[in-house]
Amino acid sequence: MKKKLLQKIIAAAMVCILMVAAVAGCSKTETTPQGEQGGKETTGGKSDGKLVIAMLPKFKGENYFDACKVGAQEAADELGITLLYDGPPQDQATNQKQVDILEGWIAQKVDAIIVSPNDPTAIAPTLKKAQEAGIKVITFDADAQKDARDLFVNQITADAAGKGLLEAAARELKAKGYGADKKANIALVSGSGTDANQTAWEAAIEKYLATDEYNFMVIKNRETDVYYPGTDETKVNAECATLISRMGPGEDQIQAAIGLSSMATPALGAQYQSASQKPDANAITLTGLATPNALKTYIKDEENPMNVGMLWNCMDLGYLAVQVAYQLKNGDITTESTSINAGRLGTKEIVDRECVLGDALIFDKTNVDNFNY
Amino acid sequence: MANKKKFKVTFNMLLFLIWILIFIGIAATSPVFLSPSYLLNVMLRNIIEIGMVALPMTLIIIMGGIDLSVGNIMILAATLGGLAAVTYGSAVAVIVTILTGLVCGLINGLVIVKAKISPMVTTLATMYLYLGISRGISKGSSIYSFDFATTMGTTSLFGIPVQVWIYVLLVVIFTVLLAKTTLGRKLYSIGLNENATQYAGIDVGKIKIAMYIICGLICALASFIWLGRFTSIKFDAGTNFNMKVITIVVLGGTSINGGIGSMIGTIIGTLIIATLNSGLTVMNIPIDVQTIVHGSVLIVALIAYAVVNSRAKKKKLIKIEAAPKQVASM
Amino acid sequence: MVQEKKRTASFLTKEFYLAIFLLAVLIFLWIFAKGFYTINNIMSILNTYSYTLIAAIGMNMIIITSNIDVSTGALVSVVCLASAAIGKLGLPFPVLLPAAMVMGIILSTINGLFITKTKIPAIVATLATTQIFQGVLPLTTEGSIYDLPATFTWLAFEAKLFGIVPASVLMCLIITVIALFFMKYSRFSKKLYAIGNNQHSARLAGINVEKTIVITYAIAGALFGVTAIIIATAGQRVTTTMGSGLEMTLIASVILGGTSTAGGSGKVIGTVIGALILCIVSPAINYLGISPNWSDAIKGAIIMISVVVGAFQQVKKKRVIQIPKEVLNNGK
Repeated sequence: MKKKLLQKIIAAAMVCILMVAAVAGCSKTETTPQGEQGGKETTGGKSDGKLVIAMLPKFKGENYFDACKVGAQEAADELGITLLYDGPPQDQATNQKQVDILEGWIAQKVDAIIVSPNDPTAIAPTLKKAQEAGIKVITFDADAQKDARDLFVNQITADAAGKGLLEAAARELKAKGYGADKKANIALVSGSGTDANQTAWEAAIEKYLATDEYNFMVIKNRETDVYYPGTDETKVNAECATLISRMGPGEDQIQAAIGLSSMATPALGAQYQSASQKPDANAITLTGLATPNALKTYIKDEENPMNVGMLWNCMDLGYLAVQVAYQLKNGDITTESTSINAGRLGTKEIVDRECVLGDALIFDKTNVDNFNY
Repeated sequence: MANKKKFKVTFNMLLFLIWILIFIGIAATSPVFLSPSYLLNVMLRNIIEIGMVALPMTLIIIMGGIDLSVGNIMILAATLGGLAAVTYGSAVAVIVTILTGLVCGLINGLVIVKAKISPMVTTLATMYLYLGISRGISKGSSIYSFDFATTMGTTSLFGIPVQVWIYVLLVVIFTVLLAKTTLGRKLYSIGLNENATQYAGIDVGKIKIAMYIICGLICALASFIWLGRFTSIKFDAGTNFNMKVITIVVLGGTSINGGIGSMIGTIIGTLIIATLNSGLTVMNIPIDVQTIVHGSVLIVALIAYAVVNSRAKKKKLIKIEAAPKQVASM
Repeated sequence: MVQEKKRTASFLTKEFYLAIFLLAVLIFLWIFAKGFYTINNIMSILNTYSYTLIAAIGMNMIIITSNIDVSTGALVSVVCLASAAIGKLGLPFPVLLPAAMVMGIILSTINGLFITKTKIPAIVATLATTQIFQGVLPLTTEGSIYDLPATFTWLAFEAKLFGIVPASVLMCLIITVIALFFMKYSRFSKKLYAIGNNQHSARLAGINVEKTIVITYAIAGALFGVTAIIIATAGQRVTTTMGSGLEMTLIASVILGGTSTAGGSGKVIGTVIGALILCIVSPAINYLGISPNWSDAIKGAIIMISVVVGAFQQVKKKRVIQIPKEVLNNGK
């Protein structure tokens, strides 16, 4: 009996030690990230009176949002505010994870929240709750339900994005002999299907496809020619491989593929590169949105039909978002304002509670090396 | 007998101690966490669906089964319900949602019992199936909430969210069911030795099917709350839900091999995960570190459990016949 | 001996049915899915198939010992990112491959040791290590590694047998052939089946159960490493979640191939067919003009039908009778 008791005590002691170790481990790690944020911030967020702005990307660990963070940090340093940055891991880019993080920030009463929602409607109740708590809510990159945010910092109007992408594809296709008398089939590789920005771009593309200028390009079957692989890298790669193998000069094949997410476009380039029997590069074209770094290899490769990529300056996007959030909280601008003086970016217009960063950044092999993100 | 009772209490108390430790640790560093509104409206509300499903999951795991499809049943029920609401209104949607949960659970149970396929394989297959159906039917887009779900997800009763009340009610029902009824004892008995239980004249198949159906129904109930809370739902919202539920049950000291476990453990497990989830977020700890902390806590609990389990196993072998008695003592 | 032969025959029919089903699907696609049989498509399917199958063979071994590994996806992600960090230095593939395998072995051995030393059921133990792997990963690198050199992407972009067949397919072929012989004739594989059938009697028969399980995890880890390097080198960019969700595909392939999760049964050839069927689904429905939204439902239905049909062949009863025999054979 005594022996058993001893065992029990030992077991309990062991667990306690492990437990303490775990807690110690977690409290140690906890200090590091806060230290990185400049050590300015204590729990509760604003004991030293500095504004706290929290930024929530769709997901972390991919270079598009990482670049946004760099710009956001730049603005935060310039303005002397504290920036919190966290987001779901890439394979769990769901609304639920975003809400978990938001709830924590709302409880701390941060001053402003900048968010890129994975799902515009499902996040709305939480954003409204933040607004009720007196927190300014800014969306960037992708919009949320309009009544759930104060301002939207848009990288590019959906119209311009759709037109820019189609123009890039059209130019390439025309150079390869397609036109009014020779139609081309195109395919889109989108994101998860509910992101507000990609949905808007798709709509814009469809709109322009109906115009005389672009109607030589057609999406033959919406069910199969618009891919929604989500944010899972292997899935994106696998679906792009299927798409590449469907490409070629034939009428029942696909001549142009446009990637609408920063994961899809590099995957298209990579899958073309690794295809066993590469579709004739003189008959097809690949293009889409992605950071220049992610496309460098493919654009510079003469044999790869990916010659042009499109994006906006992600760092500027992050910078602008923080500027807007800061000035909105400070009262320099209101939701009714028509323009904002955004630091190094100069004056930007605000139309219908939407602040647009600017035009698309088109890069090809002549200038792709000038960018580093 | 007295000694055994002491031991049981010790394990759950140990778990409770872990929870208190974590709770105090977080509350000390982050005062915001302690505000009643945060504890009620955020910490509890965020865990309710998972905690709710963990209750029937405990029953299933105690009887030696497992259900990997719970998250997907929930999403499928919400998807079908939400679609029905668009054309037929809220009342029909409620019926459709509940029916979906029931049918999904029934399918799991029938295949496991009648085709004698291991629960893991069955529910892995149905996981794909339910996920695929909700994705196919919703065409990958969002499904929106309806009146009844919104009520379940957003209203409060006496200042406490209505879903917390529901959870508390379920906790009481399930705790009594497992600890005080013959059905509860039968579950332990099945988990310890299925064949022996069968020969003892208990209709094991019927009980198993019933448990999977109950699980499906609770999933349907959780789907109302989830849908109401977020106003819309997408097919991939159940990602990791299944594993989270199982994590909680295992954390609560329920043996994945069946026959050992308690509802109290699961409830404390739920509280630990809830505290970690909301507490670490409020401390601004990055998600990646949170994942590590979750893992470590699980490992600590598992090792603690393994240490006591090495003796519990011996007991298990000897006590097969006396199993109901052992249960009654807790 | 006679009984032994009979068993083989009955087992053959099970995989035989699966093969017939596969053949039927292939013929169906030949008739209805225009352009499915282009070299390009076949090769891209084979590439996906290669890395799925290599890891599935490892998973098959683990499941035969009646254990399981749900941390594979996270493990592969870790190895992918670590390989990319090394690959950024411009090291060639012959260095990357063993490096990835070693990393796979280390991580998987941790799993194995954790399971055997603490006696925690495999599913729960690996559930815990999944979270550790997932969490450690983003801490070590800040986001993704991109702009990787041509030496890194050599396997996917350049290495083609006869200019057509990807080298990954060759790797897969070699590993599969070795696995087929190894699992059929080696003494080690007999131990696996014995442990899977009944751990206690295996121990009584003189098998060092713990050591065998750890070695099994190590071997599987090496295979996961190979898979990781194929996945990682698919493009010049590696992010933190390259392997996410892979574990479920692997377990599904193994189950579809007729391996029982109760352990002690299952053949490599079954996994070979099972993985192929699952890898065909997504591209096939795309060529058939069905929305990809239905792919998961179709996969689920295939697994469901297959296991239910398999169950009614009542292989189980036979297995139970043979436990002592297997063990006896192996003890000596």
